[in-house]
Amino acid sequence: MTTTDTSPRTAPTAEPAGSGSRIVPIARLHVVNRMQVLLVPAMILLFILLVNIVVWWLIVRSVTDPVDRADALDGLQWSGASFYVFVYAVVLGAQAVGFVFPYALGMSVTRRDFWLGSALAFVGLAALYGAFMTLFAVIEQATGGWGLGGRMFTVLYFGGEDATWYQRFGLFFAAFLFCFFVGAVVSTIYQRWRVNGMLVFFAALTLLLLGTAALITLTESWPAVGSWFAATGAGGVVAWSLVITALSAVVGFLLIRRSTPRG
Amino acid sequence: MDDSRPIFVQIAELIENDVVSGALPEESQVPSTNEFAAFHRINPATAGKGVNLLVDKGILYKKRGIGMFVAHGARDRLLADRRNQFQNEYVRPLVAEAEKLGITGEQLVQMIAEGSGA
Amino acid sequence: MTAVIEAEGLSKHYRTVDAVDDVSFSIEENTITGLLGRNGAGKTTLMQLLTGQEFATRGTIRVFGESPVENAGVLQRLSFIKESQKYPDDFKPKHVFATAPWFFPNWDAEFAARLIDDFRLPLNRRIKKLSRGQLSAVGVIVGLAGRAPITFFDEPYLGLDAVARQIFYDRLLEDYAEHPRTVVLSTHLIDEVANLLEHVIVIDQGRILLDDDAESLRGSATTVVGTRAAVDSFVGGREVLHRDSLGGLASVTVGRLDPAERREAAELGLELGPVSLQQLVVQKTGATTSGIEQSA
Repeated sequence: MTTTDTSPRTAPTAEPAGSGSRIVPIARLHVVNRMQVLLVPAMILLFILLVNIVVWWLIVRSVTDPVDRADALDGLQWSGASFYVFVYAVVLGAQAVGFVFPYALGMSVTRRDFWLGSALAFVGLAALYGAFMTLFAVIEQATGGWGLGGRMFTVLYFGGEDATWYQRFGLFFAAFLFCFFVGAVVSTIYQRWRVNGMLVFFAALTLLLLGTAALITLTESWPAVGSWFAATGAGGVVAWSLVITALSAVVGFLLIRRSTPRG
Repeated sequence: MDDSRPIFVQIAELIENDVVSGALPEESQVPSTNEFAAFHRINPATAGKGVNLLVDKGILYKKRGIGMFVAHGARDRLLADRRNQFQNEYVRPLVAEAEKLGITGEQLVQMIAEGSGA
Repeated sequence: MTAVIEAEGLSKHYRTVDAVDDVSFSIEENTITGLLGRNGAGKTTLMQLLTGQEFATRGTIRVFGESPVENAGVLQRLSFIKESQKYPDDFKPKHVFATAPWFFPNWDAEFAARLIDDFRLPLNRRIKKLSRGQLSAVGVIVGLAGRAPITFFDEPYLGLDAVARQIFYDRLLEDYAEHPRTVVLSTHLIDEVANLLEHVIVIDQGRILLDDDAESLRGSATTVVGTRAAVDSFVGGREVLHRDSLGGLASVTVGRLDPAERREAAELGLELGPVSLQQLVVQKTGATTSGIEQSA
C-alpha cells in the first residue's frame, strides 16, 4: 500500500502484478484433478491395448495361412485404436474453457492469464501424453508388435514402423497440441456467442468442408490431393497442423478476452 | 435492537444502563468493540460509534493498548443526566397536563405519594 | 474515509434489458455494504461489472483507483463469490480448497478448516453431487478464508439453513473485526443482515434507489396507523412512501418524525411504528404496484 491516511481522498493504488503472476497456478489448475488428466486416459488406453492384444492373438491363432495372416496384420497399420486419446484431448481442451474458465475467473484471474496458463498446461500435457505414446510405440516396435505383429502406436500416420523415437514424439506432441487447442477454441466460440455461435461455426465448417470436397471432386483433383499428402509426408502434415494450432491459439485468445462466463 | 433508532445510540444506552446499575463499576474494563459487535451481531463500526459516543461524553476512557474503561465519576454524572432527562420528559408534561385538568400542586404531590405506595 | 470502489455513469445494456442503467456510487474501504434489491434488479450484473467479469456499455469503474477489466493488479485483491459459480467437472471441495490459496494470497488454511467443520461440508464428494446448501458453503468458505481486500458475496447462501446462515454472519463479523476489509453483500434476506451493514445501496430495475449509511436509514421512515381521516390530516403535505388502507383504517409510511411531530400524532390518536430496512426496501422497490397484499 502506498497510500494511507495522509491523502484521504485518493484511492489506494492497485499493487503491481509483479510476483503475483498467475499463469503457472492456472496451468496447475488444469491438472489438479489427476484422475481426470492422467489416470483415466492412461487406463482406458491400456484397456484398449489389452483388447487389441486379445484380438491380435485371435487373428494369429485363427488365420493359419501365412499369406492371409500377413495380409490381416498389414491392415493393422491403419488401426485407429489409439484415436480415443486424441478425442479425449479435444474434450479436455473444450472443458478447459467450458469449466475451468468460469472457475478461474471466480478465482479473480484475468482472461489473458487464463489463456496463457491454459496454453502452458496444453503444452505440458501434450508433451506428457506424447512421451507416453512414444514409449509405447518404442516398445511396440522393439517387441515386434507385442509379439503378435499388432500395431496400435506405430500405425502409418504416426510415422509407421521405421520412425525414430523423436520423430514419433514430434508427431504425437503436435497431434495432441492440435487437439487441445481445437477443442479449446471451439469451446471459446461457445463462451463468446453461446448456441448461436456454435450453430454458425459448425454450419460454416460443414460448408467449408463440403465446398472443398465438391471443388476437389468437380476439378477431379482427388489424386492430386492424395499425392500432396504423400509428398508432404508426416512431417509436412505436422507443420500444417501447427499452423492450425497456432491459429486456434490466437483466435481463442482474442475471443476469450471478450467473453463472460454465464451461469 | 429496535428499528426506530440508530443502533449505535442503543449500544451506548446499553452500556450506560450497565454503568448506572453498577454492573460495570467505575474503573472497570468494558468489553471491546469487537466483543460488542459479536455479541449483538452488529457491524463493529457501529459498535465502535456507540462506544466513541460515550468516550466523547467522558463516560468511558481509553487506555492505550489495553482497552476501554469506565471513567471515575461516570455513574454520578449519568444519574444526574438521567434525572435531568426525567424532569424534562416526564415531570414537565405531567405538570402541564395536571394544570390543564385543574390539579393543584399539592394535589399532584399527594397523588404521586399515593402512586408510589407510601 | 477512502473510496475503494467508484462507479460513474455506469450502464450495462443487453439486447432486451438495461440491467444496469447509469448508476454512480462509491464504496468506502473496510466497510460492509449491502447491495439490496429484488431478483433481477441488476445486483449480479453490477457485481460482474465491478469485478471485471462483464464489460460495461458505458461509464467508468475504478477499483483501487484503476479499471478492474483484465487488470491483474486489481483482480488479485478481489474475490467474487457468486451463487452461480461453476466448478471444473469432477471437482470436489478438496480441490477447491487446494487451489484457492494459489489465487488468494491472504488465504488462511486454519480458518478454512474451521469453516469446513462449521458447515459440515464433505470434502470428498463431487461438487455436482453436493446439495444446494453445501455448494453455497463452498463459496462462502472461499470468500471468508480468502480474506481478499474486497470481497463480493452475491446471494451467497442459497439453500443454507437458518443455522448455517447464522454461522456465516457470525464468522463474517468476527473475521471482519480482526481483519478489516471491504465486503459487498447482495441479498434479499434483508432483515437477517440489516445489523451487519454499515452502508446500504438499494437497486431496482438497474437504477439506484437508495444509497445511504445504514444508521441514517434507521428511523428514516415511520408508519402511521389510524383512522383514515386522522391519518390524512396528519400526513397533510408530507411525502408518502407507501400507503395501505383497510376499510376506514389507513397505514401510511412517511419520513423521519421529530419529537414534536410524534406528540402531534399521539394527540390525534395515531399509532406510530418503526419501519425496518426490509420494509423500507420492499416499499421503495414495490412502489409501482398497488401493494394491497402487503401487511404493514
